[in-house]
Amino acid sequence: MALLEVRDLKMYYKTLRGYVKAVDSVSFDIEKGKALGIAGESGCGKTSMAVTILRLLPSNGKIHGGSVKLDGVDIVKLDDEEFRKSIRWKKISMVFQGAMNALNPVHRVGDQIVEAILAHEDVSHAEAVKRAEDLLDMVGINPKRFREYPHEFSGGMKQRVVIAMALACNPDLIIADEPTTALDVMVQSQVLKAMEDLRKRLDLSMMLITHDLSVIAQTCDDIAIMYAGKIVEYGNVIDIYDHPMHPYGMGLVNSFPNIKAERTRVRSLPGFPPNLLAPPEGCRFHPRCPLADDICMEEEPKLIEIGSNSHKVACHKVDMLERGVDIWAQ
Amino acid sequence: MGFSRYLLKRLVYAFIVVFVIMTFNFAIFRLMPGDATKMIIDPTFTPEAIAELRRQFGLDDPPLVQYFKYIGNLFKFDMGLSFSTRRPVVNELKERLPNTIVLFLTSFIFTTIIGISVGIYTASKRGTFGDNFVTGAGLFAYAVPAFWIQLLLLMLFGYYIPILPIHGTMSAPPPDGFFLQFLDRIHHLILPAGSNVLVAFGSWALYTRNTMLEALGQDYIVTARAKGLEENVVLRHHALRSVLPPIVTLIFGALPGMVSGAVITETIFSWHGVGKYLMDAVMMQDYPAAQGAFYLIALAVVICNLAADIVYGIVDPRIRVGEGGAK
Repeated sequence: MALLEVRDLKMYYKTLRGYVKAVDSVSFDIEKGKALGIAGESGCGKTSMAVTILRLLPSNGKIHGGSVKLDGVDIVKLDDEEFRKSIRWKKISMVFQGAMNALNPVHRVGDQIVEAILAHEDVSHAEAVKRAEDLLDMVGINPKRFREYPHEFSGGMKQRVVIAMALACNPDLIIADEPTTALDVMVQSQVLKAMEDLRKRLDLSMMLITHDLSVIAQTCDDIAIMYAGKIVEYGNVIDIYDHPMHPYGMGLVNSFPNIKAERTRVRSLPGFPPNLLAPPEGCRFHPRCPLADDICMEEEPKLIEIGSNSHKVACHKVDMLERGVDIWAQ
Repeated sequence: MGFSRYLLKRLVYAFIVVFVIMTFNFAIFRLMPGDATKMIIDPTFTPEAIAELRRQFGLDDPPLVQYFKYIGNLFKFDMGLSFSTRRPVVNELKERLPNTIVLFLTSFIFTTIIGISVGIYTASKRGTFGDNFVTGAGLFAYAVPAFWIQLLLLMLFGYYIPILPIHGTMSAPPPDGFFLQFLDRIHHLILPAGSNVLVAFGSWALYTRNTMLEALGQDYIVTARAKGLEENVVLRHHALRSVLPPIVTLIFGALPGMVSGAVITETIFSWHGVGKYLMDAVMMQDYPAAQGAFYLIALAVVICNLAADIVYGIVDPRIRVGEGGAK
């Protein structure tokens, strides 16, 4: 049994013009100690999925079905108070895009970590302070800076504080939502390395959300590619990098220059992501897909396993792709 | 720049402002039309008697000499004799100041507490009936002139439902015993203070609501919720705490307005305070009295502003730059 089993999860935002299906029948697993990367364009539902799992939805966002099992317990069914006490931060914590605003500007950084510990564990304040200092030390920040305010930290340091905070209650799973997006490349690699080391050391599971495929390649075991609220391709990172099987997955991988390969033009995907208020019928990718024909416009493809290694793809044209046709070539 | 330097700078500014106020205060009443002496000088007085009176009040000196005498005396808290009562203005102000402070503090404390609480409540219940109702009521109270509501209240509770006294700070003669006197004063306080709260709480509530809503949309609020903190803690410890600096600025920024509003409130409810004293003095062209009251009110405004700067430095750590200097 996997640590986290998400099945058919649906979360819609209610708007004046109807439901926005931000997360639509999404299923995936995260094994203990493994990392799953979620990739996709802006607005494809990556962050919505993260906040759905932690139930941090705005008032117009509602879960419309599906289950999220953590250690076999369906946490969608827990009542709010129980969920807050036993799941949030205790079992599942989150690393936000902390370089910007994830830390409260008017509280000392140390106190913000202490607060998380005290909310869930029955320890003395002094003990919580000690643990917070150890956590800061663990992410490479001098514990002496415990009493400083977020504005006295650099972006990379703030991000490391946010990571330390996510580890405060020894969670089973960390959801990292674009943890390095606001950082420059040097700091980004430092932060990623710190995160990887800690994850290996503490045997943590992670769900990493990013639009940067290189970050996933560097840190994750599995990858799920999302398009318009659905997972279109799912499997082992190496498999998908080497042989993407969904036209969209292919396009994404292609649009990333390979530093070792011959110099070619970076190929971008034509078109725009669909409006989730009224997503296209059938396969949601069909308006941008060079292979689309009648069946793609009518019938929604299922996420099916192909080949080995539980590589899954949702595409009607998967046999063509298996033969290695370069569909994005002009 | 350390906090002490910040403080020193504010103090110097405040001092300069006080000096400018003293100067204006001197000029304004002398530029007003009308002759002050006619209030105390009877037309049947002989010219010698008039000259003697003008000499006694220092009105025969050239303006510049009057000015320096005035400044010098102010430093000794000597504000001269009132033209109308012939008593030292300082004594009269001393007598009335406690009344004004009581009215002012009561109104101020209740307005802020009620206004801010209502703001927090409505922000946390955004879009509900309670939110809409309170927001509407606050907007209405904010929009209508204070004196109009005060006159209506006076009519309602003084005439139609005569349960509250309509003027003064206490009954004449006052009841016996300390406790009964205390109750009597509170009885007199309800209408003026209550009307102040009624007209002012709306703007505080709306401002708090808006800043709270803005804060509640920030990422660090999502972080706080994700950490599994109770909603109450998220609201007060994270959202409210982070919007406290602008609210405190508003509070202290509103103090001067409340001080000058006291003139109207005190006049309407015949409250025996500094505001009414100023009003009466202006009506009677009683220079020393008006100057004294005016000076006191202006001083209060300057002190309020100074307090705002200091409190702002305390509540916002980004202003109170740490030991390591600016980073």
